[in-house]
Amino acid sequence: MLRADINELLTQTGPKTPMGELFRQYWMPACLAEELPEDGCPPIRLKLLSERLVAFRDSYGNYGLIDEFCAHRGASLWFGRNEEGGLRCPYHGWKYDTTGQCLDVPSEADNSSFAANVKLTSYPLVKIGDVLWTYMGDPATQPPLPEFEFALVPPEHTYTSKRWQQSNWLQAFEGGIDSSHVTFLHSGGLKTDPLFKGAKGNEYNLNDTKPFFEVADSDGGLFVGARRNAEDGKYYWRITPWVMPNFTMVPPRGDHPIHGHFWVPIDDENCWAYSFDNHPVRPLTREERQAMIDGHGVHSENIPGTYRPVANMDNDYLMDREAQKRGEYYSGIKGIAIQDSSLQESMGPIVDRTKERLVPADSGIIKARAKLRKAALALRDQGITPPGVDPAHHHVRSAAVVLPQREAFLDAARDDVKVKPGMPVASV
Amino acid sequence: MIYVGDAGQERIVDAAAGETVMSAAVKNGVPGIIGECGGNASCATCHVWVRDEFLHLVGTPGETEEDLLDMGVDDRRDGSRLGCQIALSDELDGLTVDVPPAQL
Ligand code: FES
Ligand code: FES
Ligand SMILES: [Fe+2]
Repeated sequence: MLRADINELLTQTGPKTPMGELFRQYWMPACLAEELPEDGCPPIRLKLLSERLVAFRDSYGNYGLIDEFCAHRGASLWFGRNEEGGLRCPYHGWKYDTTGQCLDVPSEADNSSFAANVKLTSYPLVKIGDVLWTYMGDPATQPPLPEFEFALVPPEHTYTSKRWQQSNWLQAFEGGIDSSHVTFLHSGGLKTDPLFKGAKGNEYNLNDTKPFFEVADSDGGLFVGARRNAEDGKYYWRITPWVMPNFTMVPPRGDHPIHGHFWVPIDDENCWAYSFDNHPVRPLTREERQAMIDGHGVHSENIPGTYRPVANMDNDYLMDREAQKRGEYYSGIKGIAIQDSSLQESMGPIVDRTKERLVPADSGIIKARAKLRKAALALRDQGITPPGVDPAHHHVRSAAVVLPQREAFLDAARDDVKVKPGMPVASV
Repeated sequence: MIYVGDAGQERIVDAAAGETVMSAAVKNGVPGIIGECGGNASCATCHVWVRDEFLHLVGTPGETEEDLLDMGVDDRRDGSRLGCQIALSDELDGLTVDVPPAQL
């Protein structure tokens, strides 16, 4: 179980909450680059860490993320006109640039300095890879830009999607470091999904349903190792890195692209699941890219024009009891991503962790919660910069390796969990 | 080894060296100590309060145990330990622990 007060601490990320302040130490995905496809395109609304914001790309190509509401009388700037060098509120015509600075208040005299004194809250918005990243904390402590491998490889090597999940970020994230559910919930996908199937490791995965878990600290968070039996007195290790607070990677399978997630709080009852795939050595094949677009692997098929999955809470995720019986999909739900979201959303928007009953297979989750709590309190009480802020902490990879039984997983795989640009992933 | 319930009633249990405070309780059906995770410092259902006079003998919690005591029990005190993490020995003869009432 988790104490009620700690459950609250870890799940609340609004302004001025301890976890909210923790999240505001990091660069984080704000939206996909495809959402602002060209200079002067329509603005988009987004909510992040319980703050309502508008993202836009001005006529010169600058990106901005500003308060959704006009400083005059609070109209939503989503209705704004994206004009030359700024977004104009259509109500009374106040105009703002990408830093939130008011440029024009038409009702005032031409020589008035009124506009110069009006500025909306704004956050930086920077394109790296397929993602527009923001930092919502104190400008004085803004860290260097993130250096996650999936965002730095050439564009042909990577694909990122996102989906809206109707649950708190923590229960979504906890699925990302919980390797023990894969053998059950995702067992169908290991055999059939075009982005997973065919790897030698899948056999170890399916043959040994009682993995042993070991957790090791990393500079930026944790490595969660799941150990299963392999042949000849060896172990098959699946190593999942977590970079604080909300970046996780899935251990690879064969030569398939390597994937992972960002779990970004929208508010306390919703989050964005960003899902990426990348191959450090070669471009994604046309088939791979198409499979990702179609919602295979870690991606989802979304309702066109939205980031809401086609299979969602309102249609019981298109539950197929026959497929469940046949074992085609273990839970009767199609697709890895929706298999996860269906169960995580089923727990309720914020799961009551005082009622849970943890077992040794949950050790990664226990450790991660402890680290989050300690980091949030150390930041609040002593101003200590948390792990994962330093871009050097981002240079991690997941790995799936067969190791001699007597070796400690992280000693033996230390090199395999580091990013080596252009070099293959350690994967069986 | 002695387990004390909320009304002060004592359960005296004979335990061999190598048992833990949790396993000896579970074997003897001591109320309030469940040991759900089998002694892996994951569930905190074996939480006890070690009496002051034995504290220096049982040592301090390890890192995993510390995390769980911090987050997974409602009434942590100075003597709070996970029963499964205390191995019994001759030295600990007569060890006395309270079972937190919330677990009863
Ligand atoms: S509310 Fe925006 S200009 Fe008046
Ligand atoms: S038996 Fe589970 S923590 Fe001690
Ligand atoms: Fe999953």
